[in-house]
Amino acid sequence: MTYVVTENCIKCKHTDCVEVCPVDCFYEGENILVIHPDECIDCGVCEPECPVDAIKADTEPGLEKWLEINAELAKTWPVISRKKDALEDAAEWKDVENKIQHLSKNPGPGDE
Amino acid sequence: MSVAPKKTTNFSSDQEVRWCPGCGDFAILAQMKKILPLLNIEPENIVFISGIGCSSRFPYYLETYGMHGIHGRAPAIATGLKRVRPDLQVWVVTGDGDGLSIGASQLIHAMRRNVDIKILLFNNRIYGLTKGQFSPTSPPGLITSSTPKGTAHQPLYPLALALASNATFVARSIDTNAKHLSNILKRAAEHRGTAFVEIYQNCHIYNDGAFDFAKNADIRDEHTVELIDGKPLIFGKEKNKAIQLNGTSLEIVPLNEKTKRDNLLIHNEECSSPAVAHLLADMQYPNMPEVIGVLRAINAPTHNDRMPDERLPADTRVQKLKQFFNAGETWEIS
Repeated sequence: MTYVVTENCIKCKHTDCVEVCPVDCFYEGENILVIHPDECIDCGVCEPECPVDAIKADTEPGLEKWLEINAELAKTWPVISRKKDALEDAAEWKDVENKIQHLSKNPGPGDE
Repeated sequence: MSVAPKKTTNFSSDQEVRWCPGCGDFAILAQMKKILPLLNIEPENIVFISGIGCSSRFPYYLETYGMHGIHGRAPAIATGLKRVRPDLQVWVVTGDGDGLSIGASQLIHAMRRNVDIKILLFNNRIYGLTKGQFSPTSPPGLITSSTPKGTAHQPLYPLALALASNATFVARSIDTNAKHLSNILKRAAEHRGTAFVEIYQNCHIYNDGAFDFAKNADIRDEHTVELIDGKPLIFGKEKNKAIQLNGTSLEIVPLNEKTKRDNLLIHNEECSSPAVAHLLADMQYPNMPEVIGVLRAINAPTHNDRMPDERLPADTRVQKLKQFFNAGETWEIS
């Protein structure tokens, strides 16, 4: 199994999770983070850190699509291991539904 | 009737993994699952034996045979198993408490006998399962739940102990250094004889950050040096420092155009004497960078090579056991 970042992260991108990851397996996009499924060690330390509940174990039903998205995007995006500010309008996007239409596949800056 | 175990490709068992979130044990388990399929050994021919402690939950989570043994006694169980089933690959999973406190004598004798087993010692320098008491590897002064004024004694150094026990394969790696750890685990698996691997493992709850010097990306290059057989020990973010032998000690020298390359220590895993490996094991933070990699890998006869094959057919064993049990309560010494 692995943990995956899901829809709630889109346009919020809090980065509390990256700080606690012991293996630095988060990768940064323009408006979402993803987890590299082959690098994740399933330790679960990131899951409760997310203020918008975006991180889930892939054993939960219905996450096949998100596992694919995480696996695909982690291959080309830069690693992020240090916390930074959330996106400016994160609070406005917190409870918005069906955010997947806003998912950007552009890479983010990563650790700078 | 015997039932053949299910073949598996990823070696994950059906058990829910129960360590604290963030535990380094997850990282070690992940690397083990990566290397086991590369060994070309069927899961039913691999056995993981453990003692007591957080590390010792390891066998539950792999789809191989396994035994959660009694405290500190995994090496004895593994020795017995390897004697009667030399065809199996036998691993011991232990920790700094299980392996170096109650199980210390078990550990050293398994190593000196060169039993063909692979011993992984997860060193987190604390008793995690029992909620944070000091362990034999806790550094002096460490404040723990059982040492409110700090530990008073010198720690045991696992690599030095393994070398003193004449272990034929001695290595160290780090839980979250995935590439390095998987390489070391694979090499341990392929060694014939006792392979002893110390793994720096972070206890996220009771001793968090114990190995920051070796894990934090900002400083680890200055405080660790990777051993590569046949190569000098070069380290530092800029790869600008090296290790050389000065008299009977090792010292750090800057690496520049003035450095006499011939004086640098060249690593030799196969050196028959463990003397230089002892010096490497003695390199300790913060005065020296700590070594990761294989300190020693030599060929030597194993326990089974040195001992006659005492295996008997099963029916003979049962008969002998019956005779023994019914032999009465007195003995005559002639």
